[in-house]
Amino acid sequence: MRAGIVATVLHREWAETVRNRLLMSTILIPPVVLTIAPLALAGIVGDRVLPPELATQVLSQRPEWAGFSASELAGAFAVQQFLAFFLLMPAYIPLSIATFSIIGEKQARTLEPVLATPIRTSELLTGKAVAALVPGVLAGWLTYLAFVLLASLVYGPNLFGVVTDSSWLVGVFILGPAVGLASVVAGVVVSSRVNDPRVAQQVGGIIIVPIVAVTLLQATGTLLVGAAGYLLLAAIVLVVSLIGLRAGVALFDREAILTRWR
Amino acid sequence: MIVAWLGHTGRMTTPDPVMLRAADLGRQFGTLWAVRHMDLEVRRGEVLGLLGPNGAGKTTTVRLLTALIEPSEGSASVDGLDVTEHPEAVRARVGILTETPGLYDKLSAAANLDFFGRLHRLDAATRATRIERYLRLFSLWDRRDDVAGTFSKGMKQKLAIARALLHDPAVIFLDEPTAALDPEAAFVVREAIESLQRSGRTIVLATHNLDEADRLCDRIAFVRGGLLRIDSPAALRGSVGGHGVEVGLSAAPSASGTPGEAMSALTVAARQVPGVATVESVDHRLIVGTADPAAVTPALVRALVAAGADIVEVRERATTLEQIYFEVMGVRPDHGEAV
Repeated sequence: MRAGIVATVLHREWAETVRNRLLMSTILIPPVVLTIAPLALAGIVGDRVLPPELATQVLSQRPEWAGFSASELAGAFAVQQFLAFFLLMPAYIPLSIATFSIIGEKQARTLEPVLATPIRTSELLTGKAVAALVPGVLAGWLTYLAFVLLASLVYGPNLFGVVTDSSWLVGVFILGPAVGLASVVAGVVVSSRVNDPRVAQQVGGIIIVPIVAVTLLQATGTLLVGAAGYLLLAAIVLVVSLIGLRAGVALFDREAILTRWR
Repeated sequence: MIVAWLGHTGRMTTPDPVMLRAADLGRQFGTLWAVRHMDLEVRRGEVLGLLGPNGAGKTTTVRLLTALIEPSEGSASVDGLDVTEHPEAVRARVGILTETPGLYDKLSAAANLDFFGRLHRLDAATRATRIERYLRLFSLWDRRDDVAGTFSKGMKQKLAIARALLHDPAVIFLDEPTAALDPEAAFVVREAIESLQRSGRTIVLATHNLDEADRLCDRIAFVRGGLLRIDSPAALRGSVGGHGVEVGLSAAPSASGTPGEAMSALTVAARQVPGVATVESVDHRLIVGTADPAAVTPALVRALVAAGADIVEVRERATTLEQIYFEVMGVRPDHGEAV
């Protein structure tokens, strides 16, 4: 694989992405919202405390939070919910970019001239995948850094420790990119079969369902996933992504694009 | 003088006069053969037209010859490179104008060309030089920073042709270059193709436009699931119906006898002229078949006048490419298949 060709594809993809207002709003608005949301939550939670049963359940799953005051425990429980949102970003942003990119090329019939150059299919797919993956992962990471900064200012040192513990770090820096890859694979597979980016996003959005499930389980206190849990999830997502990638590569085959993509 | 050239192997050799070769080329999709038993040779600097109805396999042929898809059987080569064994090298040597321009509408004209220049691994200086050259050639230089989405169909088509030329390809494939263009835009595109033809490029032109093929092509290949016939337009005319002369006569002939008898006498007189192959009388006209209208016409006119004809018009009849097309394809527009 030639890095220069991949970089050329990447550069063009991003050049088109920044000119697509709808796509850019999809990419930019959620990180801004997610950066502001903890502040809003701090105002809402205030000095409230968790119901005793929930507090007991949370402490049984997170004994390291035993030294927190009642309001800090409520705050820790509240900010813990945000981790799932940091997983949603690398899920839906790459999905949006990949579906817009591939279906956009299908609709404009721009792939045939590209495939008529000496580019290899693997270089084209890699360029598109990286172009879709990187903004989602970077958005997740940058928003996380802003979130950590705000959390330390708003919630104090105890909660700063909560949002920088190993589960967060593994979740944001390992599981997030894995989810992003799964999302790109979903985008490629679904986009090869449909001709409307919105339909592709709805179908590909199935990738978000497990993340929403984890969010709900955390929100109800049923399950507080730790670092090991996130690592395990990342491994599962990666395996599923790699299996899906084989299908994606087959669907992205030069001949398939020219003769079967309609 | 033998022109030496540096082939892909790096050795100095005499150039193969044949730029494109297909031998028993075929491509199957599922159970359907889109193209089969295609034998074809295109010489360097030649403009070959591919003519055929929709679904005849023209686009499949172009895709096979540009190493976009692999053949199911047979072989093909471009500039001596086998399309199956060296697909990347083949794609580096061909430029293709696809059925639709396929431009990136959100990128400027220059950015579109720059992207493709990079894919062909042209260095920055070469890209800049050629982008300017081709944008100027196609009168798009002043619009170089405008996004392609704002261009008219004709401008898009010209930009797509510029893209196909950017890497200085050995062969250019043009798939329906003037389809869906208004007459003005089609004229501009045809002018561009003519300028490429004059510069000695090898061009394969897949088209439905018979007049365009007639004007631009050195040879025409009729395709329907395979190669039906290939020849120069002149040779095709000679072999299918040939040339002829049409003589218009006065509705009230001064020759003796009934009008029917007069026409019969004139038909006999025409048949006796050397070089005349066939004579047919239709209303007040004689349709005279001959291989050399220019040589036969003076003697024919003299013979007919001598036989008492009142000639009001004499004009050369050439078989049109449309007639040849229907003949080769075995169809007539009013009658459907199989004449």
